[in-house]
Amino acid sequence: MAGLIGVKFYGLLRRRLGTASLEIAGDGLTILALLGLAEEKTGRTFLEELLDRERGLLTGTIILLNGENIRSRKGLETPVAAGDNIDLFSPAGGG
Amino acid sequence: MNGWMGRLVTIDLGRGTRETVEVGEATRRRFIGGRGLGVKLYSDLFPDPVDPFSEDNALIFMTGPLTGTLMTSGRTQVVSRSPLTGTICDSSSGGTFGAALKAAGLDGLIIRGRSRKPVYLSVHDGEVKVRDASALWGLDTQRTQKAIQAELGAKASVACIGPAGENQVLFAAIMNDKDRAAGRGGMGAIMGAKNLKAIAAWGAQPVSIADPAGYKDLTARLDRIVDKNPVTGKSLQVLGTSVLVNIINAHGMYPTENFRRGVFNDAEGTSGEKIAETILVRQSACFKCPIGCGRTTRTREKSGEGPEYETVWAFGAHLGISDLTAITEANYACNELGLDTITMGSTLGCAMELSETGAWAEPFRWGESGKLLGWVTETAYRRGIGAELALGSKRLAAKYGRPELAMQVKGMEIPAYDPRGAQGMALSYATSNRGGCHMRAYMIAPEILGHPVFLDRFSTAGKAELVALFQDISAVVDSAVLCRFLQFATGISTFAEMLRTVTGLDFGDDELMTIGRRIYTLERLYNNRAGFGRADDTLPPRFFEEDFQTGSTRHRLVRLEEMLDDYYQVRGWDRNGGPLAKTLADLGL
Repeated sequence: MAGLIGVKFYGLLRRRLGTASLEIAGDGLTILALLGLAEEKTGRTFLEELLDRERGLLTGTIILLNGENIRSRKGLETPVAAGDNIDLFSPAGGG
Repeated sequence: MNGWMGRLVTIDLGRGTRETVEVGEATRRRFIGGRGLGVKLYSDLFPDPVDPFSEDNALIFMTGPLTGTLMTSGRTQVVSRSPLTGTICDSSSGGTFGAALKAAGLDGLIIRGRSRKPVYLSVHDGEVKVRDASALWGLDTQRTQKAIQAELGAKASVACIGPAGENQVLFAAIMNDKDRAAGRGGMGAIMGAKNLKAIAAWGAQPVSIADPAGYKDLTARLDRIVDKNPVTGKSLQVLGTSVLVNIINAHGMYPTENFRRGVFNDAEGTSGEKIAETILVRQSACFKCPIGCGRTTRTREKSGEGPEYETVWAFGAHLGISDLTAITEANYACNELGLDTITMGSTLGCAMELSETGAWAEPFRWGESGKLLGWVTETAYRRGIGAELALGSKRLAAKYGRPELAMQVKGMEIPAYDPRGAQGMALSYATSNRGGCHMRAYMIAPEILGHPVFLDRFSTAGKAELVALFQDISAVVDSAVLCRFLQFATGISTFAEMLRTVTGLDFGDDELMTIGRRIYTLERLYNNRAGFGRADDTLPPRFFEEDFQTGSTRHRLVRLEEMLDDYYQVRGWDRNGGPLAKTLADLGL
């Protein structure tokens, strides 16, 4: 829906939350604020999988805003608009 | 001597001779072991490149000074000239075989000549025996390993070929410890050409440790570091390497239908998350590995190892197949028959596009999962269309007049990261000394995964330096010998400490990086002699000419020319990709 922000969870986050996606009403939020709302909505904490104690992105955390890594924009302060899609990946690797 | 066993043996299967090879301390220090020492020995033996299948050619199994000691040290490196690419090649395998070879008293084994009848080798107490393998010839890799263990005891670790190696399929693998593979480059085909079915090693000779107290302390520290790291301590354990499926797909660079699209709509159904929910029985680990990225799985009909990320892709998105059972069973078949899953799947994708365009009349169709097992089997035995698939994609596409449809570099098929989505990875593929391989410089780590730092994947700035740096570090890890996944949690200083603790030699960070550069340059010199130059440091035209219309890699092309000259300059090579005299002098080559 255009008025909602879509959030998708992958990997360990999905297993922890037991859900693959949710939608959050909002506009003009930062990524950090959106993550806080997502925690509230799922009823489970998960930010420690993505952020360090100073609330910075952990090495390896990937957050995509409409397919673009937020590290290429303003990081956790990147604004999110209604209709945007967010993909959340906790640190992962392979080869 | 600490670390190294001090014994390296050449065996000539044609003449029946054995020789001990002396490797001086200076050479060990300059090339360490594994890949580095293997390449040094190989290129000294063959200043003029020889046909990989010739009787004279050598196949070198090498361990390193760390093999059999600290964590992830069970690996083996196999070095020779690849029959698939014609380049120098080292193929790395996990499991326990490397540790077993050292416990049997050897640092490595150089195999030359061709036996008149099928044989296998047993290695124990530093001695190499040639044994009759007539009854083993024709068996798959699983039955071969069981038969040899029945003869020598279950403690024997066995590296062997299956029918694909016997039939000299150009991408035949060597399989050890059930399902671990020296997969890439066709090293198994060279074993087949030598009538060598297997090598079995066992023993109890200890690796001498220079600093036993430091070793104990370092062991405990490494355990903590790896456990604490979210990648090595959690993600790889729970979800395996296929956690990458959704990540790479979300970046719009998950190669789909022979690299014609970057988003596979059915990625979820073949992801690491889905594997964990459905077919996963348990995780599995190599020698002294606390990570355990391996997947022991079960379908309705069968059980085995895999699939890992590259294989999920090669038999999945690359072919338009979303049937996880079919992908997994194709993986099992490759393990049993002894085939590299990446080249097998990529060659099938090439065949599908050749068929679709009408260049090849054979009916290969996208998404046709029901025929996968048949194609794989026919390839291993070189029967029917399998005789053509057994050549790999480059030769196949050339034969049907469409060479541009083979997604390869120097004859080796590119794996599961579309280079249009990561410019550094594109340069890494193009300049890889063994062809289209992701393991020479895994630029996906910084460009996608953000390890150790996050880089703009679409920028070419600074990528030349970083690709060279990653190539050099990887050469060090492959020579020590360790698993690359340790790099998610550690770095060059840790590798230096591991080497110092075990060997007593104080390899500083700078010296290790110089060693990596020396190894990479030596490989390059060999390739130059084999006829490779700038024209070969490239990618298929698709990546320069065709852009995706959807996904987050849309409207992007590879900009190799922005990086290649810089790369040569960083390396100290000339404009044709040949090392300059000063570079060789600086590296002592």
